Amino acid sequence: MKAVAGLIVLLVVAAVLTVAAGVRTATVAEIWQALAAYDPTDPLHVVIFNIRLPRLVAGLVAGAGLGVAGTVMQALTRNPLADPGLLGVNSGAAFAIVLGALVFGRSDAGLMSALAFPGAALASFAVFMLGGGLRGETGHVRLALAGTALNALLLSLVSAIVLARSDTLEVFRFWVTGSLSQASERPLSAMALVTIAGTGLALALAPRLEALSLGSALARGLGTRPARIQLGALAAVTLMTGAAVSVAGPIAFLGLMVPPLARRICGHALRRELLASAVLGASILLLADTAGRLVLAPAEVRVGIMTALIGTPVFIWIARRLKPGAAS
Amino acid sequence: MTRGLVLASILLVSVVLSLMIGQVMLSPAALWTGLSTGQGPAALTIRVLRGPGVATAVGVGAVLGLSGTIFQILLRNPLAAPDVMGFTSGAGLAVIFGVMTGIALPTPLLSAIGGCAAALLVALLSLRRDGTQAAITLILVGLGIGFFTAAAGSFILTRLPPQEAAEAQRWLSGSLAARNWGHAAQVFGFGAVLAVGLAIQVRSLALLELGDDLAKGLGLKAGRARLGLAATGVLLAATGVAVAGPVPFVALMAGPLGARVTRAKHPAARLAAAACTGAAITVLADLAARAALPGLQLPVGVATGIFGAPYLLWLLARDIETGDL
Repeated sequence: MKAVAGLIVLLVVAAVLTVAAGVRTATVAEIWQALAAYDPTDPLHVVIFNIRLPRLVAGLVAGAGLGVAGTVMQALTRNPLADPGLLGVNSGAAFAIVLGALVFGRSDAGLMSALAFPGAALASFAVFMLGGGLRGETGHVRLALAGTALNALLLSLVSAIVLARSDTLEVFRFWVTGSLSQASERPLSAMALVTIAGTGLALALAPRLEALSLGSALARGLGTRPARIQLGALAAVTLMTGAAVSVAGPIAFLGLMVPPLARRICGHALRRELLASAVLGASILLLADTAGRLVLAPAEVRVGIMTALIGTPVFIWIARRLKPGAAS
Repeated sequence: MTRGLVLASILLVSVVLSLMIGQVMLSPAALWTGLSTGQGPAALTIRVLRGPGVATAVGVGAVLGLSGTIFQILLRNPLAAPDVMGFTSGAGLAVIFGVMTGIALPTPLLSAIGGCAAALLVALLSLRRDGTQAAITLILVGLGIGFFTAAAGSFILTRLPPQEAAEAQRWLSGSLAARNWGHAAQVFGFGAVLAVGLAIQVRSLALLELGDDLAKGLGLKAGRARLGLAATGVLLAATGVAVAGPVPFVALMAGPLGARVTRAKHPAARLAAAACTGAAITVLADLAARAALPGLQLPVGVATGIFGAPYLLWLLARDIETGDL
């Protein structure tokens, strides 16, 4: 109970800070006023409604989705280094969107965003198979390196396409390192629904994923079909990652940091872990975004850079704790 | 020996192709006239436009190939390369940091400092309680350091004015655009000095490959030899980074591919093969980056990424079969 209250307080604080912070700081009273009695002639109200609230929604969608996706991937691969960003699923989605924009010309953002899902699906399936896949034995190092290689390949292709189209550096950066700064131009409501659907699928699969973590043979004995559950879990990862990339570009390390925290808060019970991951993921992403806007103000540090700066020490910490024998 | 010649001719052909192909195509005859007489438009193209870039590519590829092979032999793991373990991106970060803060140190020095700092950090962070390091832990921690330096590089780019940031972004992905003979001289000069240093240590490398115990039994001070070789490897990589930025995957690929073509076994032969292969890969990648989209110079690192990442994936897929990893 205490944990639930703590998580809710964390999320509320993160959300309020996101709306309050900016060139012109808004007080809680002013935010309340803007929500309760919106005045289109007040510039602060306009900024809150048109820029900061979309940013908040994008942060919620991407953060919750990536947090849950990370927990699903770690449960599926039993690998503490699994993360949609590190394993190349983010880059798969970003590559598909950029490629779509190249092939079909500049059309609406919603249509291009739909391409994120096949891209994420292909990448997650590829990295899962390369990491050892359906045999159920995913080597920690192998999976991490397969993800790195896939990332490198897809990001090189993204660079080639975006640089060839001579877009601005800003567009290039968005599809390489995610940001919440373009939130108001992204298809927020559709992607929020997709994220909710993906989270629902993950919650529904949770008991069977737990059974699977006991080993394929035992899981089969308990009446589950491993391949089907694995594909279902990959589908959930695809939905949430695709939606996150559509609204915020590729953001790594969130799915790496959130699951161990969630486990520490609610113990080993996958359903509760997933819910905690959604709240933690959204809170951390919003806090990282706010920090990124303040640290070099008026310049803005992209939230994908912030999560990487916070997340890499976590990565190294986890890597150190892997036993060399088990790591292979 | 004949297989060594095959490798040398591959390098020669890549260089010739790279000199011929570009916005203005040169025929073999024109290239020959230009090279032999030093007269005519072909000579100008070679001397001013393509020559410096190709020469720099050869030098950069060679030093990266040498560096990668040193670490692959030292750690007895084909994944242990300075680009995988974050040394090259550490070197790149130091150079970008120098640009941002306006530190008036020469680029090679900054690059060397960054590379050494990254290597030291990786070594320290992967220390186990008993004071040893497992190759796997070194690689993973190095991967993490690589991620961190990449993020820190992007962080620094945020502070640069847009024009400079765009330039720095290209450089950070590995670029050979607009290189002059000075760059080529720099990489060949430092590279030659380090290669001599490496030649002196090659016996230790051969002994260390047999295992520390055996090497010690044969009278080698293993710790000191390891340190010397690792330092040489880091400095070789930093030399490449100083002129071309952290070009990815060349150091990873050059050694194993070179050994495969030449079937070389002895470390000295493998190092020579790796230098040749690294040079050929870099020249060809640069050519692909220039020729793929005429009128637009893609950074060479984009091309090595597109070639190199599938190699790494193949390496991992193969190791699933053999269970080596």
